[in-house]
Amino acid sequence: MIEINLDHIAQQSTFRHIHPGTKLFLALGSLIICLVSPSPVVPVVSGIVLSLILIIPGRLSPLHYAKILLGPAVFLIMSIIVLLFMHGGGDVIWQFPVFWINCSITTGAVRESILVLCRVFGCSVSLFFIVLTTPMTDLFNGMKQAHIPIELIDLMMIVYRFIFIFYSQTVEIWQAQVMRLGYRRPKEAIRSFSMLCGMLFISSWSAGEDLIHAMDCRCYNGVFPVLDQTEPVQMSSFIPVLVYLTGLCGILVLATQPVGAIL
Amino acid sequence: MNIILEARDIRYHYPGSNEAIKGISFHIRKGEKIALVGPNGVGKSTLLQMFNGMIRPDSGLMLFDNKPICYDSAFLRQLRKRVGYVLQNSDRQIIAPTVYQDVAFGPANLGYDETLIREKVTLALRHVGLEGFERRPPHHLSGGEKKRVAIAGILAMDPDVLVFDEPTSDLDPSGSEDLMDLLDELNQEGKTVIISTHDVELAYPWADRVILLLDGKILQEDVPDVAFGNPENVRKAHLSVPTLLELSHELGRRGFVQPERKPRSILDMIHIIENLVIHSGATPKPGTISVCDVDIECYPPLLEWIASRQNLSIGAMGTRAKQRASQEQLTLEFTYGVIDKCILRALRGQDSLILTTSSMADRVIRRVEAYGRESGTSITVTPLNSSDQPLYPANL
Repeated sequence: MIEINLDHIAQQSTFRHIHPGTKLFLALGSLIICLVSPSPVVPVVSGIVLSLILIIPGRLSPLHYAKILLGPAVFLIMSIIVLLFMHGGGDVIWQFPVFWINCSITTGAVRESILVLCRVFGCSVSLFFIVLTTPMTDLFNGMKQAHIPIELIDLMMIVYRFIFIFYSQTVEIWQAQVMRLGYRRPKEAIRSFSMLCGMLFISSWSAGEDLIHAMDCRCYNGVFPVLDQTEPVQMSSFIPVLVYLTGLCGILVLATQPVGAIL
Repeated sequence: MNIILEARDIRYHYPGSNEAIKGISFHIRKGEKIALVGPNGVGKSTLLQMFNGMIRPDSGLMLFDNKPICYDSAFLRQLRKRVGYVLQNSDRQIIAPTVYQDVAFGPANLGYDETLIREKVTLALRHVGLEGFERRPPHHLSGGEKKRVAIAGILAMDPDVLVFDEPTSDLDPSGSEDLMDLLDELNQEGKTVIISTHDVELAYPWADRVILLLDGKILQEDVPDVAFGNPENVRKAHLSVPTLLELSHELGRRGFVQPERKPRSILDMIHIIENLVIHSGATPKPGTISVCDVDIECYPPLLEWIASRQNLSIGAMGTRAKQRASQEQLTLEFTYGVIDKCILRALRGQDSLILTTSSMADRVIRRVEAYGRESGTSITVTPLNSSDQPLYPANL
């Protein structure tokens, strides 16, 4: 039993069959542009456009997408609150004493915080774009082309494969415990959780033995095949990406001009 | 027939526990279908793992192709290429993150080049009916599909012997029937197939020979109707007598004479019962069975031919035939035990069509003809298309 997770969304994505290189180019390109931009306009535009691409042609449920974005949002809000008080410069907007410390928010801090907020938004969306459209299996391929040591990739592939097995096992054990009221009181919960960990350890041990067995059965000789069966880079998808990134660069240049500097 | 696998007084115990295998000797001939039957924990899996050298017996001798198995890496490699082993839990057997990579695992480790690997994988996936699944990750597959991936991974290495540990244990009934059909198909292609199971209903009609195991020893080794026919042994081995066999025994006890050859299928049983009942009135003229090979183009088109016939039932044997049927949106009446069911239909005077693959088409014809000889009724079998005479079928 595998619940809907990021990998599942990537497998079902409409953009699944676009060459991973094109998608990586788009995501990393907009990520870098968002990072270097001194103006908050560029990351906001990039974030909104990529989100719309994911939701409208990508047919990702907006509710689901919002939930995914909520993860980084929690961290972001906490950091922004700290940033508001840490930065200085500009006029003081609001000031109040906490014991002997004088806390104040300045216009410089507000400007800085908004920029960070927008950058994080833009960058997160860029990363989620890759995560939600490109399955890990395609990324392994890309890693091989990027000459990452093959041993590392083999290991990652096995780990990736077993994450799902252990995940479903964990769910099974957990359900069995919940059915017998294993998490009713805190003390029981701790005991049940430790049992779950123990069981998982034992089953991963035996799974490891079976893995060696399964590999031996098929004459394992140190070779782990890779699937380089990806489609060639298609101009029909590559050119829009190029146009989009150029456009984003254009906005970046405009936004850094004194006239275009909004904030 | 040549002996391919042989065990001579094998003994084995797991470290720190009692003896699991207590002196077993047997042999398996090329092209046989063998079922190792016994309750859980009698050493079926342990014995199976000796066939490809995963477990080395404490004493005794295992022979493959009349040569004693050496436990050095070069020999084991060769052995494992020729003896494919399908684990009970396909989740544990599938190691790679995509179907393609998993099936390619064996060929890649045998050192084949890229094109050959691709060819082997395509062929193996085609065989188990999973074309187009190459890029799917295993955790998005159903239990039956995972089993098929595991089998494809072994088939890609092109072994002579296929060993299955409890092949149907996590499949639904129709999945099990599909799998048994696949095993039959593989056996038809000349592979020796060995399964372990505790499902007597499954082993009884399928196996050429049954080895009953109990407590690490062979209780009995014989053709299925003899092996399962001894109620004493069956009870001892915590099994049950197959329904058909029990029915035949029960009829015998009631004074109905039973033939020497025990019924292995519903068809056999019907034949026996019909012989017992005195025929009243004329029996209908037997219907015909047409066989269509889905690998070859059919002329006139299959659908037209089907539309031109009335009261026709369609059955499909093998995954590719079933895929073709779903492509053409044909309603399949029979998906397993197809030949027998079509013969039963023909005996009632009705016509049927069997969709199948080239390797199985001849078998259908042979089986129907053999039945005709045995029972004295003649049922017409016509190939709709065949590789030597691909055009018009005779009866159009």
